[in-house]
Amino acid sequence: MIHLWFDKGTLLLRGEVGTPYGKWDPRVGCYRIKAWHYRDVLSYLKESRLEYHDEVPNLPASESMKDIVELRPYQQEALGKWQRAGMRGILVLPTAAGKTYIALKAMSLLNTQTLVVVPTLDLIDQWQKRVADFLNVDAGAVGGGKANVRMVTISTYDSAYLQAEMLGNKFMFMVFDEVHHLASQGYIQIAEMYIAPYRMGLTATYERSDQRHSLLPPVVGDVVYTARVRELAGHHLSPYTHEKIYVELTPEEQQAYDQDMGIFSDYMREKGIVMKSPEDFHRFIMSTGRDRRAREALLARNRAVKVALNSEAKLALLAKQLEARRDEKTLIFTLHNDLVYKISQRFLIPAVTYQTPREERHEILENFRRGNYSVIVTSQVLDEGVDVPDASLGFMLSGTGSTREYIQRLGRLLRKVEGKHAKLVEIVSKETMEVRMSQRRRRKNGEGA
Amino acid sequence: MLPSELLAVWKRKGVISPRYAKLSNDDLEVASSLIEAYKSHVGKKKSAVKEFVDEIEEKGYDYRFARGLSFLLDRRSRFKCNDKINSIDLRRKIFHAAARLGLPTTAEQRNRIIEAVATELKVTAETVEEFLYGDLDTELILEEFEPLSPLELLQEYNLSLTQTLLFDSTEVTFTSSDNWQRIFYSVKKLGLIYEAYQDGGFWVKVDGPASLFKLTRRYGTAIAKLLPVIVASQRWTVRAKILWKYTNEICSFTVESWKHAALLRKPKLSTMTFDSTVEEDFATSFQALASGWVLKREPEPVLAGKQVIIPDFSIEREGIKIYVEIIGFWTVEYLLRKIEKLKKVDVEMLVLVNEDLACEKLAKLEQHAGLNIIYYRDKISLAPVLRYLEQAFHEVKAKQTGLIQDLQVVFTEPVVNYEEFAGRIGVSTEAVKAALTEKQPRGYVAMPSELVRNDVLEQVRNRIEQQIDQNGQLCFSEAVRAVEAVGVKDAAIVLEALGYRVIWRGISSEKAEVVRLEKG
Repeated sequence: MIHLWFDKGTLLLRGEVGTPYGKWDPRVGCYRIKAWHYRDVLSYLKESRLEYHDEVPNLPASESMKDIVELRPYQQEALGKWQRAGMRGILVLPTAAGKTYIALKAMSLLNTQTLVVVPTLDLIDQWQKRVADFLNVDAGAVGGGKANVRMVTISTYDSAYLQAEMLGNKFMFMVFDEVHHLASQGYIQIAEMYIAPYRMGLTATYERSDQRHSLLPPVVGDVVYTARVRELAGHHLSPYTHEKIYVELTPEEQQAYDQDMGIFSDYMREKGIVMKSPEDFHRFIMSTGRDRRAREALLARNRAVKVALNSEAKLALLAKQLEARRDEKTLIFTLHNDLVYKISQRFLIPAVTYQTPREERHEILENFRRGNYSVIVTSQVLDEGVDVPDASLGFMLSGTGSTREYIQRLGRLLRKVEGKHAKLVEIVSKETMEVRMSQRRRRKNGEGA
Repeated sequence: MLPSELLAVWKRKGVISPRYAKLSNDDLEVASSLIEAYKSHVGKKKSAVKEFVDEIEEKGYDYRFARGLSFLLDRRSRFKCNDKINSIDLRRKIFHAAARLGLPTTAEQRNRIIEAVATELKVTAETVEEFLYGDLDTELILEEFEPLSPLELLQEYNLSLTQTLLFDSTEVTFTSSDNWQRIFYSVKKLGLIYEAYQDGGFWVKVDGPASLFKLTRRYGTAIAKLLPVIVASQRWTVRAKILWKYTNEICSFTVESWKHAALLRKPKLSTMTFDSTVEEDFATSFQALASGWVLKREPEPVLAGKQVIIPDFSIEREGIKIYVEIIGFWTVEYLLRKIEKLKKVDVEMLVLVNEDLACEKLAKLEQHAGLNIIYYRDKISLAPVLRYLEQAFHEVKAKQTGLIQDLQVVFTEPVVNYEEFAGRIGVSTEAVKAALTEKQPRGYVAMPSELVRNDVLEQVRNRIEQQIDQNGQLCFSEAVRAVEAVGVKDAAIVLEALGYRVIWRGISSEKAEVVRLEKG
């Protein structure tokens, strides 16, 4: 008799038989199999007409779901393609296109133990609420000190990774929200250490600059549906315009910028360092631990970047813009927290950063939702996932050069409201390296310039 | 453990090592000035302490070193929020006021709002400005700091640095002189898998379940947590494979007690307590018996296949070692697994089982297992244990003696040391001595600690004769030199065996004289 059981994120098989998926583990004298091959191993054993004893799943109690989800036609199409692909696959849809509803419908169809993996604690709350509202069951949560496993459970990527040994055999369906995170070096193991045969990945920004997204199809399924902002804008998303405004650094800022950039580029030229890849940059950073001058060059560069990103001229322009468009639901995005606090203090605008206490963050977002606050300033915490409905105006005071960040920030403004026309304003310091960063971020996005 | 961006390493030709803080005056001074800074900043803002750290960086020290120390000192500190005004409430009031009165885009508009809130709260406008973000991390107040010595701080830093490097390890191999029970307990608790083997000592390789499939850093954190338990031992060596994340190359890392113990903080482990009073009673009464057997608690592990058993005791006499395992509380399943494991052991093992908890299944097991089991109730009685020990002693000894005599070894070397030979064939020195004395190999004479070849004895005799003839007499120390020159250790006894006598004149061997015993 063959015994198959779950052992800390893997499967162990004992019996007079090998499998095409396992590997002999001399440490324990059994075959060891990656957990995600669970379904494959079972069908292999069945096809080979081998008798086996399956002790793998340890599922939480079943609860009954009752869904009231109504899908739009393109959501229906996406779900259909995923079903036809064997209940596996990745759906690429722009922010605000209602990815969550497709997943909720799928959960209701499969009616099995489900784990939803999300990037942040806020998203746990958000998903729990959606599950309660649309599926009529209470969802459990794992992450942020909570560990409550139920028929439907929401977990952060961190917890799903750290607790794979304990959670790996408790679910048959997994939904990966913002699935591009799953491709990172550590998180990809989540896909391997869970037995769930049914999988769905959701994202607005599938491609990663490091190309690691190519690792996803084997473990989650192929990309089965893609819709771009352009295709949905106007019908399912708000129409929008994009504007870029250049400002000049103040004379003092310009002088400080030139001086610090000079220190940096002199050093790079002198040492003959060329930076082409992230590895080059990393090697340089590592050298700053030993080489005093390298560190000085790096600090000078950081100072210069900060001057450009946080220029006083941007704040002056922002003041004018805010003055002109009072009472419009507005989001202000920056790269660094210090600029967030500078703006918050100057204009007395509520700030949301990773340092904002959770309760306060909820309160601020709730006030924004209700219209008590019309402007919020934030760094990168609201880039992804968390619903911020109804904002129609966005200011990008600074950001990285990443396309993903740009699309995500734009997505914050696109939730469809009748009569809304969204506008994203980028404010860029002239004649600094920021000009290039700004060009880079819009180079390859789906909506076109 | 430090944030990974503070990890400072040396890396050369596939070998990696943390840049340890040296216990030099320079490094001690940095540590000491930081500790003083924390002490003197109690009651002040965190940002002020951090400015001090920046100053140290500016003096030319590796920023990772200064920040690493500061990180460790933060953990010994308690920071609190100012309690004058609740900043969250204050902000709520300000933002609501700003929403009501209109977003301020000029300084006057802004001042109006600040003033309005200040009046409402009966504080000054300055206070409002000061505490608007008074709860940010940098604004926190250092309330309490638990100091330590500069040396302790550097040792703590080095241990943390080692652990931080191990975050990126894919596997670790180590050996230790003691503390095994706790080490294996930790390995298990941390969800790791081990393989034990003998290779000039007892080695253990540790990684995790999924390591079988590919190199993974997944278990690095658990391995880092295991480190303190290992370095708490007397002597240890730890070798790890580090998958260096920036280059994706595998580097080897070694840290060992003879070289690094002084650099690392030695974690304090609570003293071992007995698992049960049954064990404690057994140990105490056995030792009180003074039977000639030496009892040792928590002996070195015993290999059972690739797994190990750490028996509760080892009992040793004349190089014959018998292990004792006490099974007090058990379930049938536990016992089955245990016995399965014990069957793989290739040493003498006595198992003491609580009979009160026994069931009929056990009787069957015993027959199959071929184990030596003695039952007890409440308390272990020593008589049957001693009877077993005596019997086992003689059996083992006879077995070993027989084994050697059956060996049919033909010796060729001039001198055969019993201990060295015993080590080679894996029996006790005593057994070798007994066997070789009882049945001396042809051409050799048995001495207390070695066999000496006849022609070597002849050679010694000739030298001594020659010297006596030359000088008319020979002092003892020179005679010993002559004997040891041919590689023989038992000089005094060899001399006696060759028919000489030592006449002592005082305690100095220079004055002792070697004389020929007249024949007949």
